[in-house]
Amino acid sequence: MSEATATTIHADVQEVLLTEDQIQARVAELGAQLNADFAGLEPVLISVLKGSIVFLADLVRSMELPLSIDIMEVSSYGAATETSGQVRILKDLSNPIEGRHVIVVEDIIDTGLTLNYLLRYLREKGPASLRICCLLDKPARRLTEIPIDYVGFTIPDRFVVGYGLDYGERYRNLPYVGVLRPSVYGLDNPEA
Amino acid sequence: MALLSETLPPRFAHDSEAELARVLDFYQVSWRYEPDVFPISWSPAGAVIESFAPDFYLPELELYVELTTLRQALVRKKNRKLRLLRQLYPEVRVKLLYARDFRALMVKYGRLAFLLEMNGANGNGANGNGAPGHGANGKAAAR
Repeated sequence: MSEATATTIHADVQEVLLTEDQIQARVAELGAQLNADFAGLEPVLISVLKGSIVFLADLVRSMELPLSIDIMEVSSYGAATETSGQVRILKDLSNPIEGRHVIVVEDIIDTGLTLNYLLRYLREKGPASLRICCLLDKPARRLTEIPIDYVGFTIPDRFVVGYGLDYGERYRNLPYVGVLRPSVYGLDNPEA
Repeated sequence: MALLSETLPPRFAHDSEAELARVLDFYQVSWRYEPDVFPISWSPAGAVIESFAPDFYLPELELYVELTTLRQALVRKKNRKLRLLRQLYPEVRVKLLYARDFRALMVKYGRLAFLLEMNGANGNGANGNGAPGHGANGKAAAR
């Protein structure tokens, strides 16, 4: 962690898990890997709002391929007023993906439930290929067996914010990924 | 195998199980509640003396899920049963969700209010000391 980052840690952040420099370096590596793997192709990168937009913005700027971007948003459990509902597409694709090489760009994969739903939805659209690129992988929480093609970082089972990730819509603009203090979300001792 | 919303809900042993069923329903993951019982120890005469029935089976994911909201210090017995299950049935995939895992899930989905209610109703301490702490603001982490 650089000194510059250390001096600007948000008061609600317990510790910095990934510095801005670490993230930028890894995103550049992922971009280079995608450049190589999709050489000669014109993939479409699908970002899932809201957490992944920061990652997407940096990732595409590290890629030299001709590519396109599309955005989706799906409802989240608990965010709906009624928890008895079902996941819904709040923002659908703007363009068809049939025959296209698709890269789903995710900020974090933990349980995999959202991604599991999304992949089923996207497969029905007939893409030529469907790959997953996530910045953060939290395998300890996984309920679904989803092969992730590109992983930025595998992280421990902590509640993280920053670099697009929020808690209650806050902290998305932090340039690093940090562990949120449990007291912020009302648990003083999350390990108890 | 069905989504909860499409059938009569089973009689869940714990509110946390009902909540997990709602989460699975929300994400359209089919589940069965305690569909299978796995014998894990036998008497010398061959009678089953101990068995393990995981709370959920998710057929599309071929995964059993056992949810425990017991305090971490009290899950030793369940860990032992799970270890036996894995030894005897290595082909069976089981995910054990501890209290801290369930709590993290609720935090992620902004369901701290549910944790508070669950504690009040069941008194078995989502965070191990009978209260989920202060500041439960119910905000969803809309990741």
